[in-house]
Amino acid sequence: MSLPPEILDLIVDHLHNELAALKACCVVSKSWVPRARKHLFARVKFDDSESHTEMWKKAFPDPFNSPAHHTRSLSVQGIPVRIAAADADVDGWTRVFRNVVDLRLSYMDQTSFLPFYGLSPVVRSLHLTYAPLEAFDIICSFPLLEDLTLVGLFPTNYADSGWDTPLTSPKLTGSLDLRTFGRARYVIPRLLDLPGGLRFSQINAAFFFEDVELVTDLVTRCSNTLESLSLFPSLLSAFH
Amino acid sequence: MDVGASTIDLSKATKLKYLKFLWGGSTVRWITTTLQTVKSKNLQRISLCRDGVLPEMIREEFHQELKDLDHLLVQFWITHSIRLQVTYVVGKGMEDLRDCVSSLLPELTRRGLVDLVKGLAS
Repeated sequence: MSLPPEILDLIVDHLHNELAALKACCVVSKSWVPRARKHLFARVKFDDSESHTEMWKKAFPDPFNSPAHHTRSLSVQGIPVRIAAADADVDGWTRVFRNVVDLRLSYMDQTSFLPFYGLSPVVRSLHLTYAPLEAFDIICSFPLLEDLTLVGLFPTNYADSGWDTPLTSPKLTGSLDLRTFGRARYVIPRLLDLPGGLRFSQINAAFFFEDVELVTDLVTRCSNTLESLSLFPSLLSAFH
Repeated sequence: MDVGASTIDLSKATKLKYLKFLWGGSTVRWITTTLQTVKSKNLQRISLCRDGVLPEMIREEFHQELKDLDHLLVQFWITHSIRLQVTYVVGKGMEDLRDCVSSLLPELTRRGLVDLVKGLAS
């Protein structure tokens, strides 16, 4: 007995959180593979081992036939991630992650995040964790960005030399999760400088008491839209 | 620096519905002074989350700060009909701190205005 493909798709969709079952589906029939892939590659994570990216490129040598277009959440972690600028070219393998909605970049050096500029036009949530301040520029490359997480962004010599305020910035109407670890004076002014303004409806801020005025500025800037605020100040001296 | 004197001015955030304070040190004056700036008429919930266990000995000044906060939160409940929640952490092998937290915010707990929620030690 054969089932209509729509019914099979529905059955596979029910397994969207069952990785083992989805893998098993792939070996049942070729016709089951596309739908199982949709869920298997919905969340992709590259950690700091070079082998992850190499394995991906080896498994999918033709980027346009890779399952990257299924990926909704992409997480890249590493210092440095072995992703060359060439990978971000028009035909590079990172460029086919064009449907990513949730992008998480962490523990990256000054250049390793460059291939992710404007990676997907539909990114709505961006997490930058322990990245240099230069990574801040990437925010403006996602026009539909709503939610922003900034954790432990750190200044470099280059970042200290100034920042060219971008011409446009996303609407940022969702949530801001900010953990500054004493670097609020670098991060918050850049947020306030964004030309599109800030319209966060939710702010979660962990900061040092020394930066209270900056946090007040941030809250005031979002005052027309802010509905939920979580504050976690701590004492700078407690960290020394 | 005088941590207790730190105030985050929320007077312009007139659409605020939910406020949460994570509190790790041995002062709550900054919470009281910050709450005093609130002008939002939409406020629905205030949460206080204690990060870490409470100190065994509570100095007199801190006790007074807690009393002021307790009183202010009662006023908020009266004027805004908001829901108040206190989350506290109990470490492994520690006794339940519910009674301790209740004694720190006596008016709120006596009136039954606050939900005490046990958090998990990180």
